[in-house]
Amino acid sequence: MASLYYRQLFAGLALVSLVLGSISCRALATNPAFFGSTTPPATNILRYINGDEPESLDPAISSGQPEARIYMALYQGLVEYDPKTLAAIPALAERWDINDDSSEFVFHMRPNAKWSNGDPISAQDFVYSIRRALSPEIASKNAYLAYTIRYSQAFNEGAVFVRDPATNQYLLEKDFAEEGAVQTEPLSQKPLTPGGPEIKPTEQGPAAVPDTPFHQFMHSPPRLTLPGSEKVRAKLLASNAKLQAAVAGKEFVKVKAEDIGVEAVDDYTIRISLSQPAPYFSGLAAHQLFRLVPRKIIEKYGDSWTDPANIVTCGPFKVKAWKHYDELIVERDPVYWDAANVRLDEIHFMVSSDNPTAMNLYKVGEVDAVNNHVVPNGWLDVVRPKKDYMDGAEAAIVYILMNVTKPPMNDIRVRRAFNMAIDKINYAKSRRITKPLSAFTPEGIFVGYPQPKGDGFDPAQARKLMSDAGFPVTKKGDGTYECKGFPVNQVDFSFNTQSSNKTMAEFMQAQWKQNLGITVQLKSMEFKTFMNVRSKLEYKGFAIGIWGADYMDPFTFLNLFSTPGGDNGSGWWDKKYVDLLDDANRSLDKQKRYELMAKAEKYLLDAQPVIPIETSSVNFVKKPYVKGLYPNAQSVYAWKFVYIERDPAKWDYGPPSLAD
Amino acid sequence: MLRFILKRLLITIPTILVVITITWGLIRLAPGNFYSGEKPIPKAIENNIREKYGLNKPWYVQYGKMMGHVLVLDFGTSLKYEGQSVNGIIRRSLPVSAAIGLSAYLLALLVGITLGSLAALKQNSKLDYASMALAMVGISVPNFVLGPILVLIFSLTLYWFPPARWYGFPSRGMVLPVLTLSGIYMAYIARLTRAGMLEVLRSDYIRTARSKGLSERQVVMRHALRGGLMPVVSFTGPALAFLLTGTVVVERLFTLPGLGNYFIQASLNRDEPLIIGIVSFIAITLLLMNLVVDIAYAYLDPRIRY
Repeated sequence: MASLYYRQLFAGLALVSLVLGSISCRALATNPAFFGSTTPPATNILRYINGDEPESLDPAISSGQPEARIYMALYQGLVEYDPKTLAAIPALAERWDINDDSSEFVFHMRPNAKWSNGDPISAQDFVYSIRRALSPEIASKNAYLAYTIRYSQAFNEGAVFVRDPATNQYLLEKDFAEEGAVQTEPLSQKPLTPGGPEIKPTEQGPAAVPDTPFHQFMHSPPRLTLPGSEKVRAKLLASNAKLQAAVAGKEFVKVKAEDIGVEAVDDYTIRISLSQPAPYFSGLAAHQLFRLVPRKIIEKYGDSWTDPANIVTCGPFKVKAWKHYDELIVERDPVYWDAANVRLDEIHFMVSSDNPTAMNLYKVGEVDAVNNHVVPNGWLDVVRPKKDYMDGAEAAIVYILMNVTKPPMNDIRVRRAFNMAIDKINYAKSRRITKPLSAFTPEGIFVGYPQPKGDGFDPAQARKLMSDAGFPVTKKGDGTYECKGFPVNQVDFSFNTQSSNKTMAEFMQAQWKQNLGITVQLKSMEFKTFMNVRSKLEYKGFAIGIWGADYMDPFTFLNLFSTPGGDNGSGWWDKKYVDLLDDANRSLDKQKRYELMAKAEKYLLDAQPVIPIETSSVNFVKKPYVKGLYPNAQSVYAWKFVYIERDPAKWDYGPPSLAD
Repeated sequence: MLRFILKRLLITIPTILVVITITWGLIRLAPGNFYSGEKPIPKAIENNIREKYGLNKPWYVQYGKMMGHVLVLDFGTSLKYEGQSVNGIIRRSLPVSAAIGLSAYLLALLVGITLGSLAALKQNSKLDYASMALAMVGISVPNFVLGPILVLIFSLTLYWFPPARWYGFPSRGMVLPVLTLSGIYMAYIARLTRAGMLEVLRSDYIRTARSKGLSERQVVMRHALRGGLMPVVSFTGPALAFLLTGTVVVERLFTLPGLGNYFIQASLNRDEPLIIGIVSFIAITLLLMNLVVDIAYAYLDPRIRY
């Protein structure tokens, strides 16, 4: 018996050593500078982990990141994102002209662009696409991004104009403006000066675009718009006697798609009129909401136009196959206007909602790159030193919202104290890849923007503020603090269940306990539940928030707090803040605009409805042979520039530079 | 027998309707909407969405519409996956779940019954202890632990099998998910078989069979196994239904485009038509499987007659 036992033990040990041996062999076989296999695929196919299953192939519908990446392969807008800087580069438009205050844009489209079925693409296609994207029936979640286009918000919200049936005249906005409001109209709304060039010609070509009746309409004073719903309108009229009297005997005319400020001047010229100056608009125009969709196909197939059998696209790639919940395969479109410069034959957008699984697939070489934020925190020690780890500043921030509608958080001193009691620098160190943040715009993203600073870490001042607010913080015998008067049952910290959120909440909890002597309860909830609680302001105290830029301008962050009614998760709203932002946007000079915007941001930070925590960081891996895929600030990739490099000498060793 | 089957089928219908009504109510009670995301949506846009999907209609209208769908077994269109029919989603994800589930169960039966019978026949031997210890481990180690361990060994270090994704049936990629999924069932079946066999081996009719002078092989294969497998059979019904429909953890772990993955995603997305569709499908499958088990019982056990 004994000998049998030893024999088994010996066999077991042999097996273990065999396994260990094979592990060490493998470790030698791969390049230790990189994470896992570095053998390029035999074909020019990029296998990319793209996150969740895409909701829809209709660029007007989805607002998620996985879909955005797919739309960038399948569709084109007038402009495209620069793969490094994200600035607008020519796409369907060869060039564009902007008027003096960035309120009117003229795009000159290339005549040789085609749909994937060979049909030519014209300016009318763009007009159709943007009108469709803004129509209430499509109910696009992204529609708000285009609200700067004249009358587009009114159209999307189903609003009405007010017309006098006797004179056929419309009521005008300026006649009902609030007392004392500054009326500075953008150039796009001022009457045209006859003969004077509206847009100066550039060396790239003539800017002169014929005047049209629609253009005249755009340059007339803005019409008054009222809510389309009778109930809401009646309520508004009841509260405004002047308005009530003015609309008596008038008729309400629904704002139509034809009213929004987008005009096809001819087959290849688009003129867009905005309701306010927006220097960021050309960059925003690369967003999926502004990408072109095929009218004929949509009218023919209805909702099922995105079926792989029916779909027609206009980007560098077209749909080859869609294996749901597995992968979407797109292939190079030979009729794409720049097909000669598209170097990948196919891209496989693979589904994986589980980060370790995605990393495993990457390590064994089943995929060539993974989407942003996939490297789990616990893997950073191993993956971060590798040369295929991508990091860089990201146009996204993490913050803590405070419900300012409920005591004690309605007291600004309390809010400031909680902010000052957090050592954000130490927190960022513990997170390892992010940067501490004291403002509400990401750090180091917007070049030339004079970002203001919020309060720093100052526990003594925080305790003083708490005492001023009526919650004295006292030092106990053992050196710790306590704040007996603070109603801890009125405050907790809500977040959606996710390990990184929990880590963060625990850190904040410890900081507040240590520096203020207040123990805040943590409340972890499932994502949708949390979003509901936050948007309805049903939470007490604190709630986590993140925001990523929709376009490369500080306004995409600051605009969050300008929506009326405090629909931003905190309940905070201030007319002065909105006016400051408007002032900034009306400014003709870019630097002046930035300065005014920074003033608005400072105003927001002083009111402290939010505790800024950190600027996020790009965090993904890509094989060194994948070139042209840059860790840019919004994690959007113009796929036509991506290719597989087979010569190891030309590989990326470390994150490729974002400088031009 | 036919009468019994008909009666059972008739009871099934109200059961399913109750299940669906409760599910529908729970979805409505759950906070949040299919369209809510990280970025807050302006009120006007939210109104547009609610209008588009008929969410601003009274609850009884919505309930009626949903029930109308269920009664004709056409569950409508997914809210989250724009333009995709729920029936289409079930049709294409079921084969994946079924391939993984059935393979896992066959493997579990094969290994489980063999180990269990051997253990029973050689009771208190080393083989018995070893296989029952293994079974104990199999039951105690959850699949979300077993899966990553298998991936770590066979994929990340040995590079034998891919660590995730669906490569069709049959394929190398199925090996790890099937092993992960079958582990616990293997263990259960081994223990059930052993217990059943031990009981049967001590019974009178086995003694009779032996005294008739039948060979040990005939005694075991023809008499003992048939009786000893009764507990395994009753376990098979629900097990098979869950394997077919809800290999949730394994599908998630290995990113397989199966029904279970859709189910969990649909719940997280608050995708009402998809949840209702999958719940109905699982309910029907479960009830049918139980019926099949009852019929199999009658076949295996001569004492049971309906």
